[in-house]
Amino acid sequence: MSEALLRVEDLWVRFAKPTGGVVEAVRGISFEVGRERIGIVGESGSGKSMTGRSILRLVRPPGQVTAKQMAFLGTDLMAASERRMRQIRGNRISMVMQDPKFSLNPVMTVGRQIAEAYRLHTGAPSGEAARKTLEMLEAVQIRDPERVAKLYPHEVSGGMGQRIMIAMMLAPDPELLIADEPTSALDVTVQLSVLRIMDRLVRDRGMGLIFISHDLNLVATFCDRILIMYAGRIVETCRADALMEAQHPYTRGLLSALPRLEDGQRRLSALQRDPAWREAPSVDGYL
Amino acid sequence: MSTATSEPALAVTDLTVAFGRGAARSVAVDGVSFSVPEGGSFGLVGESGSGKSTVLRAIAGLVPAEAGRISVMGRTLGPTRDMVFYSTVQMVFQDPYASLHPRHTVDRTLAEPARLHRKPDIERRIEEALEQVGLGHGFRFRYPHQLSGGQRQRVAIARALMLEPKILLLDEPTSALDVSVQAEVLNLLDDLRRERGLTYLLVSHDLAVVAHMCSTVAVMRGGRVLETLSAETMRDATPAHRYTQDLLTASQGYREDS
Amino acid sequence: MPVDPVPVDPVPVDPVPVDARAEAEAKGWRAWLTAEAPQSRLQARAGQAWIGWLAFSANPLAMIGAAIIVALVLMAALAPVLATHDPLAQDLQARLTPPGEGGYLLGSDELGRDIWSRIVHGASITLFIVALVAATAPLIGLLVGTVAGYLGGWADVVLMRVTDVFLAFPRLVLALAFVAALGAGIENAILAITLTAWPPYARIARAETITIRNADYIAAIRLQGAGPLRIITGHIWPQCMSSIIIRVTLDMAGVILTAAGLGFLGLGAQPPTPEWGAMISAGRKFILDHWWVATMPGLAIFIVSLGFNLLGDGLRDVLDPKAQGR
Repeated sequence: MSEALLRVEDLWVRFAKPTGGVVEAVRGISFEVGRERIGIVGESGSGKSMTGRSILRLVRPPGQVTAKQMAFLGTDLMAASERRMRQIRGNRISMVMQDPKFSLNPVMTVGRQIAEAYRLHTGAPSGEAARKTLEMLEAVQIRDPERVAKLYPHEVSGGMGQRIMIAMMLAPDPELLIADEPTSALDVTVQLSVLRIMDRLVRDRGMGLIFISHDLNLVATFCDRILIMYAGRIVETCRADALMEAQHPYTRGLLSALPRLEDGQRRLSALQRDPAWREAPSVDGYL
Repeated sequence: MSTATSEPALAVTDLTVAFGRGAARSVAVDGVSFSVPEGGSFGLVGESGSGKSTVLRAIAGLVPAEAGRISVMGRTLGPTRDMVFYSTVQMVFQDPYASLHPRHTVDRTLAEPARLHRKPDIERRIEEALEQVGLGHGFRFRYPHQLSGGQRQRVAIARALMLEPKILLLDEPTSALDVSVQAEVLNLLDDLRRERGLTYLLVSHDLAVVAHMCSTVAVMRGGRVLETLSAETMRDATPAHRYTQDLLTASQGYREDS
Repeated sequence: MPVDPVPVDPVPVDPVPVDARAEAEAKGWRAWLTAEAPQSRLQARAGQAWIGWLAFSANPLAMIGAAIIVALVLMAALAPVLATHDPLAQDLQARLTPPGEGGYLLGSDELGRDIWSRIVHGASITLFIVALVAATAPLIGLLVGTVAGYLGGWADVVLMRVTDVFLAFPRLVLALAFVAALGAGIENAILAITLTAWPPYARIARAETITIRNADYIAAIRLQGAGPLRIITGHIWPQCMSSIIIRVTLDMAGVILTAAGLGFLGLGAQPPTPEWGAMISAGRKFILDHWWVATMPGLAIFIVSLGFNLLGDGLRDVLDPKAQGR
């Protein structure tokens, strides 16, 4: 794989509790992302979403982000001004969230939202933005882009909403896309078609993709490389096609806790958590 | 009313549920029929909007059935449910964050059904129910926000068991939970069914979960049952219907082609 | 019974002996309050209250509000001690003495009565009004709103149209009409305020109920055979309480002002009762030359209203169920 788009070294995310004490959501992780599809898997509370957000500096107070280094193609994201970050967000690094209902503005047609996002980031004239909007809607395989562009978010289905989000996020041609559980609110069949679209766009444009998910099966079949997070640390990294041969007892435990069609009704093995996993040093996720 | 053992525990015939009237009328469940033998475990799978959860809610009496017949333990249900029904059929909901009253302790949540049905020995029952779902006494006086998702779902199961029902309606009981917690809850449900001879009606979008829990599965789409198949047929991936095949393929993960 | 050795819990819970309360108390009451696994209903409730208090006390403005209200209560309770004069004793020789002169801390009014003493004695009247309104109006509103919201249909239509009728009148005008019909006096003023104050609570309670009634936990209790009365009082009320309590504290300033307004118009407390509104009313004749007569009770109303508003904002942070848990 080529050079790294993003390099993160020793990233911490901490939250001060109102009752005193500090919660450490992410505890000193390091990784790089190239022009590849990298999956971050973990259970709730593993810190995977916080990792995605801290890259775009979207962690709100009382959350605190620290890192030795967080560099995106030579830009130091930790030191960048808020103004600089606004130029980067959406323009060079985009993010797709879980539920399109909460990410789209309910009182603006989807076409206008895509066009405005595009103009905001590129400064293109409105005619070009309108053309680009239709082009993007077509790119996410929406059959009748002219009609869909005139719809309001509540008039589209969940799957279409998520495709519209992807169209909006990819319109300014970002170099890195962070997708935080982009398909978990969708039905399986819809989920796969959305992933297929995302996959094709990412490949065609040579983008990097950070795919955050709790679904081992999906990540193993969709990504190139996987970081497995537990309690704010990376416990293991592997190539996606080698996930089934993963070594760490946590990864193995997760895999065997998953009911599988072919296994019949054997008893599922419950994951026995070892306190030592929490304390083991974080594994590097460098290229 | 008959209680012959040959009777299925739960039988649904031509169930139709519709919402709204006139032009706004939409049929959520359209002539669904199935039956579950006593001690059996039946699964309903389908995507959102297939009407699978509505079937469950219609059986529970939470939404009115427009047509069709529902019988429980050989007894045909009328439009309203009575105390006998509630002590025979209980339900576990999808989201354990929404199904427990946020301002009631576990203790109160569990005591309420027993008090409503004037059961004796409430103290002992609560302790037993907690024990059964693998939560100790230490959880009895906690509030839901002091519990993890899996613990909450255990409390919800304990609440359903307080009335010693025969039939459990399970509405996506693990879809809000992490994989490892899902395994624990599914194992718990398996154990409870075996020990107490419970009858399950499980609704899920996850084919692997349904295949794991149920011996017979009905695939729903657009309010209708497309086909009813055995768990073996699902495992061998030899369903009769194209849509079922699509679902099975999709549940195997991502593929670039097709 | 074979059960998985599971409960996955981020914080490991020690196996606690049944009589752990005494043991926990040995570690101090703080540990007892913050115990991860409370051993009794009392401890669970106390623990919740303690967490609420921690959040509340971390908000300095809310604490100032609470301090003002506590000061008001103390003032009312200790009025005979705090007052330097008899609030009704007249001294026409010393009428309209400016503040600080002749032993009159805040000056004297047109009949030579000590304004400070009258404000101190008036505190109990204000408190009386606030307490009675706060105890009755929200209750009526809660009852009407939750019943309408939960039952829906005809009950909803009838109850909410009645509410609308009450809401359509300007509050002070309706209160005036009631007092005019019932006769002037502090009790009737309270009654009038209560009758005009409940509709907003009914609105809030109904709106909350409509979202709550479709929650899974209500479906669950229905499936256990609970009837509407039990569901409304046991399950919906506790969920509506916080927004009602917040609204009540925020409204208290308005109640005090309405009572003062009625007093000002001569329809509330009757002279010579030292009611703050009536005092302003009496002082307005001298507002240009003897500003303190009307200003001092005005300041008292202002401070107490501010106190309730600050308290209400603080309570919102503590009681808001959306902010809790998770």
